[in-house]
Amino acid sequence: MSAADLLNLFIAALLLAGVYAAMSVGMTIIYGVMKIVNLAHAGFLMLGAYFVYEAYDRFKIDPLLGVLLAFPVFFFLGMGVHWLLVRRIPTSDQPTLTSLLLLFGLWLVLQNLGYLIWGNADRAILTPRTLSSFEIGPISFPTVRLVVFGAAVVSLVGLEFVLHKTWFGRSVRALMQNNEAGQIVGVNVQRTAQVAFGVGIAFAGAAGGLLAMLYSFSPDFGAPFLLRAFVIIVLGGLESFAGLAVGSVILALAETFIILVLPASYQPAVAFSLLVVALVVLPEGVAGLWNKRRRWA
Amino acid sequence: MEQEAPVGVKQGGDAGRSLLSRYAPAVAPLLVLASLAALPLASPGPNTVRLLFVTLTLVTASVGWNLLGGFGGQVSFGFAVFYGLGAYTAALSINGGIPPGLAFLLGAAVAALASLLVGLPTFRLKGPYFAIATIGVSEAVRVVMTNLPWTGGASGYRIIEKGRFFQMHHYYTALALAALAVGISTLVRRSKLGLALIAIREDQDAASDLGVNPFAAKLLVHALAAALAGAAGGVYARYAAFIDPDGVFAFRNGIAILLMPIIGGVGTIWGPVIGAFVYGLIHEEVVAYFPQAHLLIFGSLLILIILFEPGGVMGLLQTSLRFIRARSSVGSHS
Repeated sequence: MSAADLLNLFIAALLLAGVYAAMSVGMTIIYGVMKIVNLAHAGFLMLGAYFVYEAYDRFKIDPLLGVLLAFPVFFFLGMGVHWLLVRRIPTSDQPTLTSLLLLFGLWLVLQNLGYLIWGNADRAILTPRTLSSFEIGPISFPTVRLVVFGAAVVSLVGLEFVLHKTWFGRSVRALMQNNEAGQIVGVNVQRTAQVAFGVGIAFAGAAGGLLAMLYSFSPDFGAPFLLRAFVIIVLGGLESFAGLAVGSVILALAETFIILVLPASYQPAVAFSLLVVALVVLPEGVAGLWNKRRRWA
Repeated sequence: MEQEAPVGVKQGGDAGRSLLSRYAPAVAPLLVLASLAALPLASPGPNTVRLLFVTLTLVTASVGWNLLGGFGGQVSFGFAVFYGLGAYTAALSINGGIPPGLAFLLGAAVAALASLLVGLPTFRLKGPYFAIATIGVSEAVRVVMTNLPWTGGASGYRIIEKGRFFQMHHYYTALALAALAVGISTLVRRSKLGLALIAIREDQDAASDLGVNPFAAKLLVHALAAALAGAAGGVYARYAAFIDPDGVFAFRNGIAILLMPIIGGVGTIWGPVIGAFVYGLIHEEVVAYFPQAHLLIFGSLLILIILFEPGGVMGLLQTSLRFIRARSSVGSHS
């Protein structure tokens, strides 16, 4: 394998990492604010994919615009789900049996609604962009991957802006850092949790749309990404957005370069192995390393 | 999950309880066991026996899941791994000339060993790590088994046994295993381990302050639960005589093993048994009538149970029993 091939693989992994980060950030927000692992995340990724697909197929809406539309639609969908289901279960400082099972049930419902509506045939979003690419020297950039990467980065920067410059963002960060202290200084927990859940689902839907531009999908679509999202969050230290980016890059690199040593069919086992390694070596995630350094310094 | 007695209702008052209600909890299980053992007297068709056989293997797995999930509060979505590993181990052993009883035991042992793979890295930590790791593990194992050449890979593995096929023999094996599982569950519930698990479920920090070692307790009960699921898989594999990765390692098996205790009543001795019977007996009908939507139905059921009756069938029974008692005591006062 030549150096150019390795460089190509490396670029592909970095571009993949952008989508991975966008896909995991929704889960991080919901976990941070409510200490709930959103197992239904996979279901919303799948719905996002079909949302963008239907918008393109029926109304000829460009998939990128479809992803933009997915943000408000899934935001209100998430708020609705929170109002209907999530607010009814007791909260705790760590995930409870109840919350895991409730959201798992919701995932089953969403996935099988998908089967009822769209059947189990694989779909794909094909645009003129899908197969085009351009080259700079020996390195080739697939256009669609660049576009998806760009959209993911823009949305993450937007979120970072919201989290640091708005009251809602401050409330979210307060609750993530210390729930009780947040309540004492007057953060409205229920309200913030509902909006945070909406934002989390909005990112799930949009990320599903982005993933749909890269891969074919069926109602079972989200399942492999659920574990990936969680591995990324664990690598990032559960509640750190900077760690999330690092986690995405690590997973994307591992998945891309594993094909050099193992048959591609073993790729689904990579995420799980990485999770085990991460839990043994880095239980506090990459962010834990920084915190330790800070403590020593 | 534990329900407290409402003020004013005497729980221990012997005068208010008839002999029947005092001995029913001890006698009812024996009656159920006796009637299941006496099944041949009713000369059921082979399909009924098959349905009951499958249900009994499900009882074993469900009771196993409940040891960890119900008593210890650790949700696992990956029990299909243990079921599948037990099935494959038993299948390979039987084809290798090992007697079936020993083969089931080997299946249980391999499943218990595999449980360490998930438990060792995740049980040391608080938080959602274990539950999430179990989502990935059945998929990872299924992929590996699909690509493993010496067990036939994706095309499955066949068990070849010489001699006649006695359906009732398999049925009684499954019945004995299910009874053993319920026995183990009762023992665990009454033992120090059971108390430790419930303490961990309610408050892990408080439990470890009181001298419980959460890591060891969870690891031990996970292995025990995995062994039961593995043995169930082994018994099923011998009956089916053919297994494949998509069948025994499927994520939906993990879902089923989790649904049953939830339906019946999580954290109780008999809830998982009731749940397994409910699921085992209606599941095929539901799949037959709603082939596209059966998981939609079970998913909705899960949501409804969690929101409205987290105690499942057992909780429903308790609530209605208390309602009747409260009604009758109100009646006697007026």
